[in-house]
Amino acid sequence: MEPRVKGRVILFGDNINTDVIIHARHLRTIDPAELAEHAFEVLGDEYPQKLRQFDILVAGENFGCGSAREQAASCLVGAGLKAVVASSFARTFFRNAINTGLPIVECPPVRGAVQEGEEVEIDFARGTVTTPKGTFTFPGLPPSVMEILAVGGLVPYLKRKFATAGAPPPRAG
Amino acid sequence: MAPGDVVVAEVDTVIFHDLSLYLTGRTFEQEVKGQRILHPERVVIVFDHFFAPATEEGARILQANREFARRHGLPHLFDSGTGNCHYTAIQHGFIRPGAVVVGSDSHTPVHGGLGAFATGIGNNSIAALTLPYGTAWFRVPPTIKLLLQGSLARGVTARDVAQYLVGRLGEDWAGYKAIEYAGDLLPRLDVEERLLFPLMCIDMDAKAGYIEPDEAVAAYIRQRTAQSFELVRNDPDAVYESVQTFDVEEVEPQVACPPTVGHVKPVTAVAGEPIQYAEVGGTPGGRLGDLRRLARVLDGRRVHPDVRLQVVPVTREVFRQALDEGIIAVLHDAGANIFPASSGSNQSTNMGALTAGQAMISTHTRNFPGRNGSPEARIFLASTYTVAASALKGRIADPREFLE
Repeated sequence: MEPRVKGRVILFGDNINTDVIIHARHLRTIDPAELAEHAFEVLGDEYPQKLRQFDILVAGENFGCGSAREQAASCLVGAGLKAVVASSFARTFFRNAINTGLPIVECPPVRGAVQEGEEVEIDFARGTVTTPKGTFTFPGLPPSVMEILAVGGLVPYLKRKFATAGAPPPRAG
Repeated sequence: MAPGDVVVAEVDTVIFHDLSLYLTGRTFEQEVKGQRILHPERVVIVFDHFFAPATEEGARILQANREFARRHGLPHLFDSGTGNCHYTAIQHGFIRPGAVVVGSDSHTPVHGGLGAFATGIGNNSIAALTLPYGTAWFRVPPTIKLLLQGSLARGVTARDVAQYLVGRLGEDWAGYKAIEYAGDLLPRLDVEERLLFPLMCIDMDAKAGYIEPDEAVAAYIRQRTAQSFELVRNDPDAVYESVQTFDVEEVEPQVACPPTVGHVKPVTAVAGEPIQYAEVGGTPGGRLGDLRRLARVLDGRRVHPDVRLQVVPVTREVFRQALDEGIIAVLHDAGANIFPASSGSNQSTNMGALTAGQAMISTHTRNFPGRNGSPEARIFLASTYTVAASALKGRIADPREFLE
């Protein structure tokens, strides 16, 4: 994950559920590229292609609600999106995004401050999103979560962690 | 342990259905690689989406799952026709008060109604942590207490109240939080009816739902497992983020209308909408109580000729009991089509596709456009009574006129 990402915004509204992000009939694969071919297809056949022309997805409240499918996060990685900024996230999507290495930013003012196609810049270290209408701050994610995102998700994180120095597996506590 | 702390907890039960095991199994073998499953006996696999695959792909997914279970020595595989994944896990004694239960199905919180901590986590979370190490990470959620007070009016069930709460409070009301349901309504409901509340807490984005288990829960569990368990009680000094009270006496039958689960209206506001399909099944329907309620409305009547009424028991045991009680004969004679114990039309994996312009009313959990076939089809969600009344009328109907 890059410490700063900059790019064009694709815009969505409130309560975007995971059935809209990736339809259940495509949940037969774990390959992000293959999944990306069907991202947001429910909204129109042109959407998977359209998505690739943008870098950052901006949405309103409760992004990723509904079914807990992690492909809703991994298909966005496959489509080349560098981050998702929303006013709030559904809990299951939030968790899945971290585990699949998709950077997420909870920053309510952004949704109302950008138009589709405009550029924004996210600085993860400083906790800022810069839009044409101003710069907004967001609380950073905990360092443990940033470590997972930095290496691209939970599976690579754990493999790396346990491969080095024979670290013991996490224990219940 | 306080809200906000991150804990790594030992997992007692992992629930898979056929689709989630297929994905988790691939992640486990292709990405995690070279690990053993630490507690094979804690893994419950239920084939509930493909109950009789009509495509080669479905057959391949089931076969890959059977081979995965064999390779890793997983003893608890319940093949097609056993039941819905959550009720099968309950029926076979895998859920007990005090247990930590995970699954990648978002309705896993249902088990909080039996005193478990239960939540949905991603397939990769399960593949990377739960299978090899028997654990999962959680951020401890703050808890909101919802007191449900009063008795239900005629024709109103727990489903209506749970759905009413989603409409009233909103789809993101409890994000990252847990909800404890309490109040004098709950002891008046049978154990399976209470489950509707934690089941539908996900529709308010809660992480988990919980009901303090009582003797009725203990008796229910003892009928299903010989394993010992402790009836976990709330700490006397438990801290709640807030406590809110709802009077349920005024709640009417409720219908969730397209396009989302939070778009909830009283049945009187949508009565008259034509429907072509009606289904009683899924995790919130198809239990013995649902089949009894359905038979009560259908007894001696006929399903409307424009409607296909589909009945999907949640387990084989429910089907068997319904046979003994004569319920299956009543439903059959009324014109219902009976399907194998499964998840039924959930996301139209094995049944239940709709074409543009059609509408279904069901006891299922989701109504997002495109969930069952065409995005231009409409899905309404309601109680078994409302689905039954609608099947008779060919239009969404208020069940109260059939329950005099």
